[in-house]
Amino acid sequence: MRILKPAECWTPKLRVRSFGNNNMAALCKGARRFKRIIFCHSLVRGFSGKYEYDIVVIGGGSGGLACAKEAAQYGKKVAVLDYVDPSPKGTKWGLGGTCVNVGCIPKKLMHQSALLGGALKDAAKYGWNVPHQPSHCWATMSLAVQNYVKSLNWGHRVQLQDRKVKYFNLKGQLTDGHTVIGTNKSGKETVLTTQDIVIATGSRPKYPVHVSLTRAVAQYLFLFFSEIQWSVDYDHPLHPFPHLLISGCLHPGWIIRNPNTPHFFCQHPQVPGAVEHGISSDDIFWMKESPGKTLVVGASYVGLECAGFLTGIGLDVTVLVRSLALRGFDQQMAGLVTEHMDSHGTKFLWRRVPRKVEKLPSGSLQVTWVETSSDREEQDTFDTVLWAVGRAPVTRALNLDAAGVKLDEDTGKIIVSANEETSVPHVFAMGDVAKGRPELTPPSIRAGRLLARRLAGVSTEIMDYDNVPTTVFTPLEYSCVGLSEAEARRLYREGGIEVYHAFYKPLEFAVAQRDSSQCYIKAVCLRDGDQRILGLHFTGPNAGEVMQGFALGVRCGATYSHLMNTVGIHPTCAEELTKLHISKRSGLDATVTGC
Amino acid sequence: MFFTQLAWPCREHTLLFSFRRSHNAMVVYKVLLLGRTMASISAVTRFDFLVIGGGSGGLAGARRAAELGAKTAVIEGKKLGGTCVSISVVMWNTAVHAEYLHDHEDYGFEGSHTKFNWQTIKSKRDAYVKRLNNIYQSNLDRAKIESIHGHAVFTNDAEPTVMVNGKRYTAPHILIATGGRPSIVSDSEVPGANLGITSDGMCAPYTSLPMLISDDVLPPHIIVGMCAPYTSLPTLISDDVLPPHIIVGMCAPYTSLPMLISDDVLPLPHCCLLLIDSPPLLLPQGVKQDQRKHIVADEFQNTSRPGIYALGDVCGKALLTPVAIAAGRKLAHRLFEGKQDSKLEYRNIPTVVFSHPPIGTVGLTEAEAIKAHGKENVKIYTTAFTPMYYAMTARKSQCVMKLVCVGREEKVVGLHMQGPGCDEMLQGFAVAVQMGATKADFDRTVAIHPTSAEELVTMR
Repeated sequence: MRILKPAECWTPKLRVRSFGNNNMAALCKGARRFKRIIFCHSLVRGFSGKYEYDIVVIGGGSGGLACAKEAAQYGKKVAVLDYVDPSPKGTKWGLGGTCVNVGCIPKKLMHQSALLGGALKDAAKYGWNVPHQPSHCWATMSLAVQNYVKSLNWGHRVQLQDRKVKYFNLKGQLTDGHTVIGTNKSGKETVLTTQDIVIATGSRPKYPVHVSLTRAVAQYLFLFFSEIQWSVDYDHPLHPFPHLLISGCLHPGWIIRNPNTPHFFCQHPQVPGAVEHGISSDDIFWMKESPGKTLVVGASYVGLECAGFLTGIGLDVTVLVRSLALRGFDQQMAGLVTEHMDSHGTKFLWRRVPRKVEKLPSGSLQVTWVETSSDREEQDTFDTVLWAVGRAPVTRALNLDAAGVKLDEDTGKIIVSANEETSVPHVFAMGDVAKGRPELTPPSIRAGRLLARRLAGVSTEIMDYDNVPTTVFTPLEYSCVGLSEAEARRLYREGGIEVYHAFYKPLEFAVAQRDSSQCYIKAVCLRDGDQRILGLHFTGPNAGEVMQGFALGVRCGATYSHLMNTVGIHPTCAEELTKLHISKRSGLDATVTGC
Repeated sequence: MFFTQLAWPCREHTLLFSFRRSHNAMVVYKVLLLGRTMASISAVTRFDFLVIGGGSGGLAGARRAAELGAKTAVIEGKKLGGTCVSISVVMWNTAVHAEYLHDHEDYGFEGSHTKFNWQTIKSKRDAYVKRLNNIYQSNLDRAKIESIHGHAVFTNDAEPTVMVNGKRYTAPHILIATGGRPSIVSDSEVPGANLGITSDGMCAPYTSLPMLISDDVLPPHIIVGMCAPYTSLPTLISDDVLPPHIIVGMCAPYTSLPMLISDDVLPLPHCCLLLIDSPPLLLPQGVKQDQRKHIVADEFQNTSRPGIYALGDVCGKALLTPVAIAAGRKLAHRLFEGKQDSKLEYRNIPTVVFSHPPIGTVGLTEAEAIKAHGKENVKIYTTAFTPMYYAMTARKSQCVMKLVCVGREEKVVGLHMQGPGCDEMLQGFAVAVQMGATKADFDRTVAIHPTSAEELVTMR
């Protein structure tokens, strides 16, 4: 009776079925449904001799929509299922996924708002009489951002319609490799049969959950209950009972197996109040009131970007960091980014882990944390606590076990092959939910398009995930493509690489008398032969715009001499890349002077 | 509402124009006189490499040569750094601020009613330029390059020799990199020309012309003609890409000046900016010049006289700072490192016009590509969009982009764009175009989201 296992585990009703009296009821309900599914299934196949759809895409984010639209263009019959579970604070949004609603788009607009604040300060030095220090109104900004996001939601709907892609506001789950059941808000189910299934459900922010388990207990529980379907709603953000044994996002098995989690657990044994009083990046862009004095927990790129723009619009912001900032990025560059933020008003508390969040009678939040080296407890009060402690893939509601789709035990992500296929034929997964894929919009879009072309039989090209450029929109933007210096050293040994670098001064900083000591460029090249570029790193204004073209160059196999043989564009920051001539090894001063 | 006003210094500037002209002429004349009388008396100081002109190109060449072990000297009559620095591009940024100031309210900032103060920016700019001049001096000192202050004049010696303040200097390799200045249009050529100032007088180079057209700083009718080589810019970018109002003044030949200036056609401008290409000031003997008085130099920067080289604005070709810098360095490598084939590739030089919004262009235009490869072999990709920045603002501006591809493999031979950020976007793409990237390479590149540049790799 494998089909019973996950049935509707996301509804609170079924959560406790493994423990108590509801067991039988659940079994019965599951069995009834099972019959119904089989019936529909055979009915459809019987009538048409084939499937209702060519492709059903679960998840209407960047990757899913790109895949659906592309496939439809090649004449495929496509359906998209999208359903947004509200965040624990109740934030909901429309079609388009994380990027459009709670990611890249609103983030960059708010970043832009913060940059304008900086521009106002510079404007005085550039000859503008700015009569008095202007103030920032959160509501004006967030309304404008939200209106734009809503227009994008609408745009996606229209595009789907134009391309004749069927859109369902349903939460999808698999029963086998060709059947998807969509459930709407009120629990009504729709069965879709399809040739191929594409899973692109993405990821959602994690919370440091209130788990009163030690690792040993978790292990014990896991072993004990491993034969029973563990029905805890481990990645459902809207958990109605946060005070239960396990609240929020964690499956005991996952706690044990995830290399990050035990670590996380040892150091964050529990953070009472995290979910009740905290928010995540799912909420910040949709707040109607200014978040006020804010504590950002975590120095991931999400955390730093939020901290950056909040500081930029004049708020008091503190970042609590456990160990590293921008893990996975080049650490020298990460250091420059945080140093710049630090010198522009964002407070950093390093080597601290949160202990608890309490709501004071005044309404403000008292947060207690521990300094890890000394074990000393510290606390402060904030208006808002923003958790940026990582993201978890959204797989729970998909019923993947039933369909036989294998998950990676460590990350909880779906295991995929190079052509995005899962362990089940005709079931594909891409984007944040797939293992080993960059959690970025553009690779997902491209992977989605290429997958659609393969499914439509017009191409065999598979996505190349190497040399994916990305930009961190911190106040001083950081953009990179290729390997970090440390990775390059590991792969090519110390003697195999040559690093060219420069501290440069953007012209726009000069008159405004802004400090440019963190504006830095680094090209990691092979030392031998024509010095192929392995990685490029750039901090400075418009980093994203600068890096895109160089990413194209790196993709074409650019070498150091290609950089040197390109005439610079004067005066830009980008031209500094074509002027890099000091190698790190030489120990010479890398500060750029003059034209 | 925003109240953005400009306190524009009016007719004082017209005086500056005529003053400069006579002043310069006097200086040159005096130096010439000195040269003739004292040439035979003084001893000759010898260097490996002598650079005349302490602008961007000259300094770059000198520094690279010194790094390669050559005994080097730089002769500069004014401030080190040349046009690029002394008459710097700072002003452009000021106008960028003018644009942003419109958007502050849309982005949630309140109470930022602003006015523009010319004096503030002028003094800031001067301070910055002075700092840069000093940096250049200390760079030279650190590189053990002798800097000689004064105007250089070639003597009649058999060996090329230069006279500065009565002292004679020579070297087996002499580089002329004296740059150019805005040339002066006489009243006889263009009636009313002396009503104008030049970009030197204005304290900004040609880049400020488009700035002026930005209506935040000046009313758009204060526009002047610009003659070669910048006339080719609008055609470079090609008519379908450019919104015409941006460039209106730039392609007007200077013969239309009187028309512009006369108040029948346009309201009388307060101040007129003359931006006409720059002929060289220094006239060495035995070195060929073209009819525009530009020194004729080949792709290796050789002039018609062995041992004398020229680069940068004096050659009248691709008058851009980085071109001069690159050419200077290439020359140093050729002369002092024995790299015989070290020369600057003048094809695919990326160029940005700092208009509002900026224009970026590299490689062939559509018309040039069709001429060279035939219409059937040219494929054009274009896109036009409103950058996300304007999602929040009442003020909107478009970004337009164009790829010119040739052949079956769709090799990208030209890339042209205008829009906010295009200045910073172009450089990396220039590397790729230089490398011979194809459209397929563009397609295979993963985008950076959300940027404007990503549109270039997602064109279909």
